[in-house]
Amino acid sequence: MDRKTPRKFATTPGTRDVLPPESTRLLDVQTRIRERFRLFGFREVVTPALEYSEVIEEHGLRDASYKLFDPDNQMLLLRPEMTTPIARLVSQRLAGSPPPHKLSYVLPAYRRASVGRGQSAELYQAGVEVVGSPSPREDASAIALLVDVLQSLGLEAPSDFAVVLGQSAFYSGYLRHTAPEAATGVTAALAAKDLVAVDAIARDLAADAAAGVSGIPRLVGPATDGSIIEEAGSFAIGEEAVAALDNLREILRHLEAHGALGAVILDLGLIGRHDYYTGAVYEAYAAGLGFTIANGGRYDNLLRRFGKEMPATGFAIYLERLLSVLPEEEPPPLLVLVGGDVDGIEATAGLRRLGVPVLHLSEDLSPGDAAEYARSVEAAWISYPATGGVKLATTDPPGDFVFMDAESVARTVLP
Amino acid sequence: MSGLRVAVPKGAIFEDALSALERAGMPAHVLRENGRRLVYRAGETEFIVSRPSDVPVFVEYGAADVGIVGKDVLEEHKHNVVELKDLGTGRCRMILAAPESRAEDVRRAIRHAEVVRVATKFPDTARRYFERMGRQAEVIELHGSIELAPLVGLAECIVDLTATGTTLRENHLVELDEISTSTARLISNRGAYRLRHREIAALADAMQESGDPVG
Repeated sequence: MDRKTPRKFATTPGTRDVLPPESTRLLDVQTRIRERFRLFGFREVVTPALEYSEVIEEHGLRDASYKLFDPDNQMLLLRPEMTTPIARLVSQRLAGSPPPHKLSYVLPAYRRASVGRGQSAELYQAGVEVVGSPSPREDASAIALLVDVLQSLGLEAPSDFAVVLGQSAFYSGYLRHTAPEAATGVTAALAAKDLVAVDAIARDLAADAAAGVSGIPRLVGPATDGSIIEEAGSFAIGEEAVAALDNLREILRHLEAHGALGAVILDLGLIGRHDYYTGAVYEAYAAGLGFTIANGGRYDNLLRRFGKEMPATGFAIYLERLLSVLPEEEPPPLLVLVGGDVDGIEATAGLRRLGVPVLHLSEDLSPGDAAEYARSVEAAWISYPATGGVKLATTDPPGDFVFMDAESVARTVLP
Repeated sequence: MSGLRVAVPKGAIFEDALSALERAGMPAHVLRENGRRLVYRAGETEFIVSRPSDVPVFVEYGAADVGIVGKDVLEEHKHNVVELKDLGTGRCRMILAAPESRAEDVRRAIRHAEVVRVATKFPDTARRYFERMGRQAEVIELHGSIELAPLVGLAECIVDLTATGTTLRENHLVELDEISTSTARLISNRGAYRLRHREIAALADAMQESGDPVG
């Protein structure tokens, strides 16, 4: 028999087991995000991990999806993102109730990861969608909620993070009006974030068209700096671009009222997935991390595919990336109580009644072994039952045992 | 423009990259001091030196804010970075080449859509090139001395970079086609480009193009 570990006992490429303390942090962050979503009136939904492949339209997402076949030989996908399943849900289940539908989710999505690029095949996400309102004010309140969530998790703007905001209809409107022949090439170059190629195309255009083609993507800076929008005004040529800029101004006006403007950086060259986003588009970045920790925007055309003309806007937060930039936190309080007999059970129950988290070991361990065990589960305290209370000691560094009654233990252990 | 971390590639475009950074007022001269270090500090600016193909990796992950790298590397790996400026230096060409003696055979094989074996350090670039022409190729990825492959029968032709053509001539290889041209680019991480836009835009503006940009 082969004695080597069978290869297929590993997790599949791009996936992993999440263990404490990371799993604890992940779940805590999910809980705190849920609280903020609820505070803003969003109602949480759960959709199936499997969808018919037809539900997802975008080629990139379909290619990246895990596929399987059901007993009727229909192709299914593991959802590669949450927005489309929610659009499907709204169009099928909520047609009778009045819009806007403010829904949230905290679920993983699945994408084939390119191995070695630090991407995960199982992406823990948390996000919201506002379906059924075309108002830029809903874009602003979604962005304000994103800022609120990130701040409530201990990040500060703009030193730790910023939401980069663009308006995809502004550039596309400008292109359609002033340089329609170059629109496809320029959009592709900008989507690839290749400003060199954008400039190369601009050089072949008439001077007035070229000014905006290479000028608009360079309008980047803090949203509190009014000069960016002012400069953008000089490129607001054609009905679409004018409307898009008005839309952006309205979003900014409301972001200011939300108190979130300081967390926003404008980038008029940000177009996101340009065949998907129809207006506001944004990405959140944290200092020192190259990848987005959240992204979102307005997608007014997606619901059409499910037979409903419903404008919509929303965002998704990538929880693993977010975790990697959150400040370190003390592990939650935990006490290991060692003692196998009835007095151990009584002491444990007494502490738990006072809200002290207790891991009870019914095997009798020596203080040294108990401390080693406590360290392995990140418990800061070990204790043994004693008449009228417990003997309590710190784990790291190992302290002397002190007798305390249950109330004193609760005061000592709980923050 | 201080406090940025700049990734600089070893090898062919190292000197040009240094000159361009110095012309932009960056204290890149520290990189000339000691050839074995990996991280150099000058005031608040930090320079890291890496293999050219690793520069966009450092930048994409945010381990460096900006970097200098050849367009050939960006074309091959499609990293998610912002391409800010064509520096015009380090000009070279991606070409298809075959041994003189068999050049005609390879041409004919490609014309007839036969499968040809191609050795290259740029497998994606080679694959895309043949796909675009509607031709078929078996791409063999090597990591050095590509010219050796057709000489010993590992491949019939190669896709490789050439600046002057000297290595090709020395190995009796002839160019069959030019696939693309490449120059050095200033790239930036997507987050840093927005969060530190003032410094990075100033750096991009200050890095003078020397030579004509590739259109």
